[in-house]
Amino acid sequence: MLTDREIISTLEMLENEHLDVRTVTLGINLFECASHDPQKVKNKIFSRITHFAKNLVAVCNRIGEKYGIPVVNKRIAVSPIAVVGAALSSSQMVDIAKTLDAVAEEVNVDFIGGFSALVQKGIARGDRALIEAIPQALTATERVCASINVASTRAGINMDAVLLMGHTIKQAAKLTAEKDGLACAKLCVFANIPEDIPFMAGAYLGIGEADAVINMGVSGPGVVKMAIDRALEANPDLDLGQISELIKKTAYKVTRVGELIGREVADSLKIPFGVVDLSLAPTPNVGDSVGEIFQSLGLLSIGVPGTTAALALLNDAVKKGGAFASSRVGGLSGAFIPVSEDLNISEAVRKGYLSLDKLEAITSVCSVGLDMVAIPGDTSAETIAAIIADEMAIGVINNKTTATRLIPVPGKKAGDSAYFGGLLGQSTIIPVNNAQEPNRFVRHGGLIPAPIQSLTN
Amino acid sequence: MNKVILSVLGHDRPGIVAAIANILFECSCNIESVSQTILKTEFSGSFIISMPPDLTQEELRQALNEDLAAMNMHIHIESVLKQKTGLVSSNAEPFVITTKGPDRKGLVAGISAIIARYGVNITNLQAVFKGGDEPGNNIMIYEVDIPVDIDRKDFSRALRAKAKILALSISIQHRNIFETINRI
Repeated sequence: MLTDREIISTLEMLENEHLDVRTVTLGINLFECASHDPQKVKNKIFSRITHFAKNLVAVCNRIGEKYGIPVVNKRIAVSPIAVVGAALSSSQMVDIAKTLDAVAEEVNVDFIGGFSALVQKGIARGDRALIEAIPQALTATERVCASINVASTRAGINMDAVLLMGHTIKQAAKLTAEKDGLACAKLCVFANIPEDIPFMAGAYLGIGEADAVINMGVSGPGVVKMAIDRALEANPDLDLGQISELIKKTAYKVTRVGELIGREVADSLKIPFGVVDLSLAPTPNVGDSVGEIFQSLGLLSIGVPGTTAALALLNDAVKKGGAFASSRVGGLSGAFIPVSEDLNISEAVRKGYLSLDKLEAITSVCSVGLDMVAIPGDTSAETIAAIIADEMAIGVINNKTTATRLIPVPGKKAGDSAYFGGLLGQSTIIPVNNAQEPNRFVRHGGLIPAPIQSLTN
Repeated sequence: MNKVILSVLGHDRPGIVAAIANILFECSCNIESVSQTILKTEFSGSFIISMPPDLTQEELRQALNEDLAAMNMHIHIESVLKQKTGLVSSNAEPFVITTKGPDRKGLVAGISAIIARYGVNITNLQAVFKGGDEPGNNIMIYEVDIPVDIDRKDFSRALRAKAKILALSISIQHRNIFETINRI
């Protein structure tokens, strides 16, 4: 017998607090599609993906309806295309991207990730072909997402790759200038990229994974915020330890949803269940914001002093609650701070509470990094590379994942608005200091060596 | 041993279950199963009892009435039919139907009619009507077993249509989600 409290609190989470399964991401291994013949590669990719994914959307909808919890997005993540297409040229890589786009449309998923390369130690021929293809590929397609891993704690930071990505990002922005640089919103640069992220744009299927896998991304910043608000209303004297405990329990509940639905989707599709990524991922919808959590915790806005400490508390509590809730936790699993995707965070930028420097600081205690940050269009490629390098350093030295998804919006400057649409949201362009001056440091290139803490053997 | 179900109704107070159990013990009856609820101020209890072969239902009724007279409890005794299994077939899935909305006559009748029409069994019902228009004050929670062979989409549609007529918001979900979120 269920108690009425259990039922009513669960329904509250679903109806008013935006509890949902943010994504079911089907990872598909494409290594057997490798070939010297680009046409063979395309055909094999198309048929392999449709084979695994043809029922994905229907099954997710059916199970979502059974539990009354919407599965908001269905996505696909494939093996890094730089490896699958290692024998191909840059223009052939663009064709592969178009094939991925076509098959994503065929099976009706909203994004397909894995147009990726891992270059933390060096750039191989296939990697370079892919990276050169990125601006064109992300312009010509709608659903394809790309991620490049340029650094790791074990390997160090590949500064040649970092500089190359600075230029690639500028080029991608230029080609999609009339859409405010939209191509860049589908491109992430990583340090220590996890192999099983279900969220875009970083999702790809790691090399140690099986033929296919189901990874889940849950979310519920609204649920966490409401839980904090209710608790503080009942007892304004709660201390931070008690608040942390409350967040932990709430994160437990949210993650349980992912575990239940993920396992059932995996069972139905007869595909192994991978991980639950228990990240707090916001959307531009009202009440679905991570930024608002900071206000509930007592800060005027995300970005003011106290933000980093609050985020440390939040991120840690989320991980602890989520870890207990699922047997397999993976991906990024923490709080996301995607500037344009969260109404409250982009407001904080507009009002001047949240600067690029503060964003960089908080990435030392949260999952994602400089995510969906719109910067002035005339920021130089070298400066972009330098911003990336800073972010990679935080990840490498602290043995954590960090990433950048920077969008230099052509023709716009700090304070202007950039509009990306849908889940990608909109945002005020954030100022960058010293944006156009030359940057001799990044032009040195080479490899910043792996830090001593990587010598753990 | 013959089995009976004993229902007891009356104004709630401490001591009712003790009094009943004592009488049953003195009559050499064995309590096999008990369920007891308090609805607002009223006590309602059901006891499945096995009686010794030499005790009749009338005798048991008299014994209970005598000792419970002071408490003003209403007693009813009925034989329990011999059944190997309960009504619930193993081919049913547990769901929870919850409604919220302004109070009015006919809410339980309306929803339960649809549930009955589809051959769905209610295993537990909690309903609290505080009255008025505040939707949070009038909640019905039906735990039901839906046979796997009925068209669940159709059932769902019929429920939603009825809920709309009754100005109720309704949600229908598999039971597992509530257990999974709230229990370890």
